[in-house]
Amino acid sequence: MATVLWLQGGACSGNTMSFTTAEEPSVVDLIVDFGLDLIWHPSLGEELGENAKKIFKDVASGARPLDIFVFEGTVIEGPEGSGRFNMFAERPMKDWVNDIAAQAQIVVALGDCACWGGVPATDPNPTSSTGLQFHKRAKGGFLGADFKSKFGLPVINIPGCPAHPDWITQIIVALASGRAGDIALDELHRPLTFFKSFTQTGCTRVQFFEYKQSTTSFGEGTRTGCLFYEFGCRGPMTHSPCNRILWNRQSSKTRAGMPCTGCTEPEFPFFDLAPGTVFKTQKVSGVVPKEVPEGNDHLTYMAHAMAARVAAPQWSKEDMFVV
Amino acid sequence: MTAVDLHVSPLGRVEGDLDVRVTIQDGVVTSAWTEASMFRGFEIILRGKDPQAGLIVTPRICGICGGSHLYKAAYALDVAWQTEMPENATLVRNIAQAVETLQSIPKYFYALFAIDLVNKKYSKSPMYEEAVRRFAPYVGEHYQKGVILSNKPVEVYAIFGGQWPHSSFMVPGGVMCAPTLSDVTRSLAILDFWKNEWLEKIWLGGSIDRWLENQTWEDILVWLNESKSHYDSDCGFFIRYCQDVGLDLYGKGVGNYLATGTYFDPASYARPTIDARNAALINRSGIYADGDFFSFDQSRVREDVTHSFYEGTTSRHPFEGETLPIDPALGKKQDKYSWAKSPRYDVPGKGHVPLEVGPLARRVVAGSPGATSHQDYDPLFLNVINSIGPSIMVRQLARMHEAPKYFKWVKQWLHQLNLQESFYKKPVEIDNAKGFGGTEAARGALCDWIVLENGKIANYQVITPTAWNIGPRDKAGVLGPMENALVGSPIVDVTDPIELGHVARSFDSCLVCTVHAYDGKSGKELSRFVVNGMV
Repeated sequence: MATVLWLQGGACSGNTMSFTTAEEPSVVDLIVDFGLDLIWHPSLGEELGENAKKIFKDVASGARPLDIFVFEGTVIEGPEGSGRFNMFAERPMKDWVNDIAAQAQIVVALGDCACWGGVPATDPNPTSSTGLQFHKRAKGGFLGADFKSKFGLPVINIPGCPAHPDWITQIIVALASGRAGDIALDELHRPLTFFKSFTQTGCTRVQFFEYKQSTTSFGEGTRTGCLFYEFGCRGPMTHSPCNRILWNRQSSKTRAGMPCTGCTEPEFPFFDLAPGTVFKTQKVSGVVPKEVPEGNDHLTYMAHAMAARVAAPQWSKEDMFVV
Repeated sequence: MTAVDLHVSPLGRVEGDLDVRVTIQDGVVTSAWTEASMFRGFEIILRGKDPQAGLIVTPRICGICGGSHLYKAAYALDVAWQTEMPENATLVRNIAQAVETLQSIPKYFYALFAIDLVNKKYSKSPMYEEAVRRFAPYVGEHYQKGVILSNKPVEVYAIFGGQWPHSSFMVPGGVMCAPTLSDVTRSLAILDFWKNEWLEKIWLGGSIDRWLENQTWEDILVWLNESKSHYDSDCGFFIRYCQDVGLDLYGKGVGNYLATGTYFDPASYARPTIDARNAALINRSGIYADGDFFSFDQSRVREDVTHSFYEGTTSRHPFEGETLPIDPALGKKQDKYSWAKSPRYDVPGKGHVPLEVGPLARRVVAGSPGATSHQDYDPLFLNVINSIGPSIMVRQLARMHEAPKYFKWVKQWLHQLNLQESFYKKPVEIDNAKGFGGTEAARGALCDWIVLENGKIANYQVITPTAWNIGPRDKAGVLGPMENALVGSPIVDVTDPIELGHVARSFDSCLVCTVHAYDGKSGKELSRFVVNGMV
């Protein structure tokens, strides 16, 4: 039986809410069938007040062994390094994180905020928020670049805003069943099994991307075309399985007509939400996308695009997702 | 005479956590302070950003109400940019906002609220064993079904919005999606499954139409006793259990309510403006104060920061609102104790008063006269509070009452979608403008005020239902609604003050704050309680 302690720092609880929508296994399955011992969780915990605080103290001191420490939300270091923007059980949350991370066998950063700062760390980062082991793309974060948990692993990052429930449950099951060694991580500490592929992998609009055919507008305009050219979709540059493992068992943002915002990458929200950047593709000379699909450069992209447009069949210019 | 100060921290499961400090005199709470102790500065982040940044940022204020944040952020921009709204877009927004609430109702009830009903304090109740069988966390039969089936309504959200939580698919001028026939039919099937398997089978033990016939508290009692299936349903059991253990006797609150309303009649809100808003609402807005109804006017809202960790002691309208955080260590020296501001409403003739928001507020306002043909008129909860008074039980019943109601509305909106027509009308982006958008999140009134200057956000202020309910005292020292509701609560065991949990959770605050704990609450540590000076 693996013990799990789940805390939230500068969080919206979105990853928790996402987690509760999981099926196969569901939250109930994890606890009843897989024997996960969730010793405390801010939304699901039973203990109040003093009874809860004893759990944190015992874990932080090492008196109570902990297998998996799940942290959701940013580590808040403000104001002026004090951490007082986020107090928890009499102390700055950052101090609890420091102590508990040192005692846990495995540390999991859940969601962008815990991985690398996410939305709260967006300029001007008013709370001095950071991630557990990254600040945006730079290694370091709160625990430092060299941090390894007792088991010998760095912080395992499960990014996303929020993370998909399956990414959470499958990794927790793997860790709890002794398969931590099987989890290969990329350079951002994301499990490769989920984050090697692109958001675009499996997108229903990928044929339109192939022939460089753009969606014309939101709403009925999304019955055809790809969202990459005009609407800022980051699907070709973002690593996630959003179109392999669907959301709520039904769909994904790009399938529904919403551009990918790149929320599994450390730069999310991209361009710090500067004027003119939201749902709009950034372009060079008003024509060529400033960012091209991963592994391309502008010249090869343009050559490919020109050929693709010539090759585009008539159906690629018509509606596909019709009533 | 003993008086103790009790600090309960963390008081989990209010979606985010909350600190509560209370003064207890002879086993009864005599005063209370609710303390939100985490600050993220979203309103600061939004300043100077893309006008549409709120569509991405504000859903991340709260993971459980993200769809509601998106809904009102989109309408704030619609008002600012003077968009035209296709009828389909209004319908899809209504559907998405409502299914998020349909998800929240059972998830909140079983995962966050009902597990306290199996607290050992109630073990002497003859109904305790049955409560454990139903509601015990993770293993209770209905806990399991309620929590898992709560995922179904947001599958419909994903069909239209791509995912739940945290989509940003509502944009000024409409929605990003253009559903197909199977999107609609699948949504209908998912909702029917949820209704059959949870709402009727487990919660009501009967039909939603029969429940919705109830117009008075007496009607509810007749409903309860008219069949074994009603009596044994979770709703029936909950009412009987509350009466058995006394959850119908405390947690009254200020007794004054605010709803900012939600869901629009498509034909009445083709051009979203502040002035047209009240009349276009389906779930109406309004204020109920000291027995009188008043119409909602956003210009009468103020946020007082006297006891909040922000500079000064101002009370500003959100268009002029500021968010200037200070170090809480400094703030405490100025009698500040929470990151929540204190929203107040200027009720004609009564001054700036605290108002409770949430499902009970919505249901009371739904009982006001003057509903037009597309608006909800529902006298049930006005009658209930006039018959038995507000309480923890009544607040819960009001929340649960919305499940059958919204279910029927969502189905109706799905049927109204015209798949051949438009879902989006591209707006003209206006560089200098002001906008206001509001909705009702599952847990109450939620509004944005946006000021655009030179194509950028000059000011962005959000007032959440949690701020309305758990905000601290104001300049006049008047308690916030939850603080007020805590007063009078009986505390049986100061080492396990479950009563505070009941009251706090009956507001279902979604504030994401973290816990600010204090020492000395259990067992022999009793002696370490700060003894109140009134002793």
